[in-house]
Amino acid sequence: MEEFMHRALQLGGEALQAQEVPVGCVFVVDNKIIAESRNRVNETRNPTRHAEINCIDLVIEYCKSKNLRHDYFQNITVYVTVEPCIMCAAALNNVGVKEVIYGCANDRFGGKTVCDVSKIYSNNYSLSGNLLADEAMALLKLFYKGTNPLAPDPKCKKILKE
Amino acid sequence: MALDSAEPEPKRMKTSNKIEEKLDEYLKNMKSATWNLTPIVEEDLYKPIPVVQASVGIIRDPKDISKTILTLNDKVPMKELQHLKRAQKKEIVICPLSYLNGAKIEEYLENNVKELKEVFEEFKVCDVPSRPPQVRKQFEESNKVWPCNFHPNKYNEKLVSGSFYNEQELKTHRQYMEMVFEVTKFYMKGLTATNIDSDKILRNLNTCVVVDPSIQSVVAVCFDNRLKHPVQHSAMLAIDNVAKTQNGGSWVADREKHETIDSTLRGIDEELCCHLKEKFPQVKFGAKKFKSKRDMSEEELQGNDIGPYLCTGYYIYLLNEPCVMCSMGLVHARAKRVFFCFNNSEFGALKSKVKLQTITALNHHFEAFTGFL
Ligand SMILES: [Zn+2]
Ligand SMILES: [Zn+2]
Repeated sequence: MEEFMHRALQLGGEALQAQEVPVGCVFVVDNKIIAESRNRVNETRNPTRHAEINCIDLVIEYCKSKNLRHDYFQNITVYVTVEPCIMCAAALNNVGVKEVIYGCANDRFGGKTVCDVSKIYSNNYSLSGNLLADEAMALLKLFYKGTNPLAPDPKCKKILKE
Repeated sequence: MALDSAEPEPKRMKTSNKIEEKLDEYLKNMKSATWNLTPIVEEDLYKPIPVVQASVGIIRDPKDISKTILTLNDKVPMKELQHLKRAQKKEIVICPLSYLNGAKIEEYLENNVKELKEVFEEFKVCDVPSRPPQVRKQFEESNKVWPCNFHPNKYNEKLVSGSFYNEQELKTHRQYMEMVFEVTKFYMKGLTATNIDSDKILRNLNTCVVVDPSIQSVVAVCFDNRLKHPVQHSAMLAIDNVAKTQNGGSWVADREKHETIDSTLRGIDEELCCHLKEKFPQVKFGAKKFKSKRDMSEEELQGNDIGPYLCTGYYIYLLNEPCVMCSMGLVHARAKRVFFCFNNSEFGALKSKVKLQTITALNHHFEAFTGFL
């Protein structure tokens, strides 16, 4: 289990280097990574391109190429460094993954912490957190010490001064 | 209902119609609508304010009133009931009943504000409003229960007034919603279904039109693709299409062709755009020319503001109330207003299941409106 989260953290580190919010994610089937990605929001200028959504995209392409039905998602365990946001939590419900394991909680957008998405969907995946949470949090802290280069948001500068 | 076998079968033809006809029916109704759109706000803004019980003392000598209030404010501040005026003639709120923890009010005074032990001639329990009134109507109702402080807020009053938009604005919003229906018709051409089915089909897809109100222009238009791709709900596609007008985007089928299209028009499929221009000759299409620090030299940027940034300032028009995923996507995208026609009772996140726009913990809040039909 930890090895998959270590890989997700590595991807989060890549995101940080690319000046993205450092979140990484791997999708695992039968103990093998079948998709991996990181946040690509600034790169794509699309604020929904979170690591989880990118992985879902990869799996859908994989299904298409292998002629698999989308119920293939039922085999997937998701390792993601930060608790999926409300959007990603709903998306992971939409595709119907088996399990989601995250690192640290997401106080700003969390699909459990801020608004419990599992109450709205009936066929929930199992959700657990706190796997290598300190490492995931450390990455985020590094990011929020700097600024988001694309957002014209003065709040970022405030954080710098703190 | 059991039909007598001797009766002829009901005509099948009648129940079968085209989804386009159904959409035309809705369009007709929308065009003849005379009412305003409804802002979807938190319930606290319009529901009557619940009451809680408070311990109230009746002052023996009116000369002691102001001194007593000062002492109480100092010794028994009521964090949760600061909206109350502490006194109503000779009656003074001592504290919420919950502070007593089952003890008698006399004991409570003895333990907490000894100096006021003798100023009251009598005690009683009164209902008082539990929350501050946010709009005048609540203020007036609350005052009948117990006098309250009230800070009038023009915008809140407008939200509950039932006349948020003026006639001209309503015309504009209805026109963009008509476009949502027109786009749906465009993609559902020729599809036949029974009446019941057609409603079901229409609820399980969505159509999205994105408008930049600062230049009154359509920036992106998307129809649903969720059957082939469970994340490609129309709002998610539209957010990506907006990104395409800003030199970004990730769902690009043909990169090479994409690059040849004028970036301001990358949010709308070419063929669809032609169709819509014919149907809505008065409407402008295309995004503001995108300017970014990342893509332009200092000189190119001179005197120009950078932007647009994501969906900042944009209005989003949708056939159905967006689901949790799409609604949160629109929060991430910083949309300014979201309009929709039909409720999504299963997964709707602006009205039906939850109101994301009212969750204060989130960093961005758009306004949501419905009531087209
Ligand atoms: Zn997310
Ligand atoms: Zn959706």
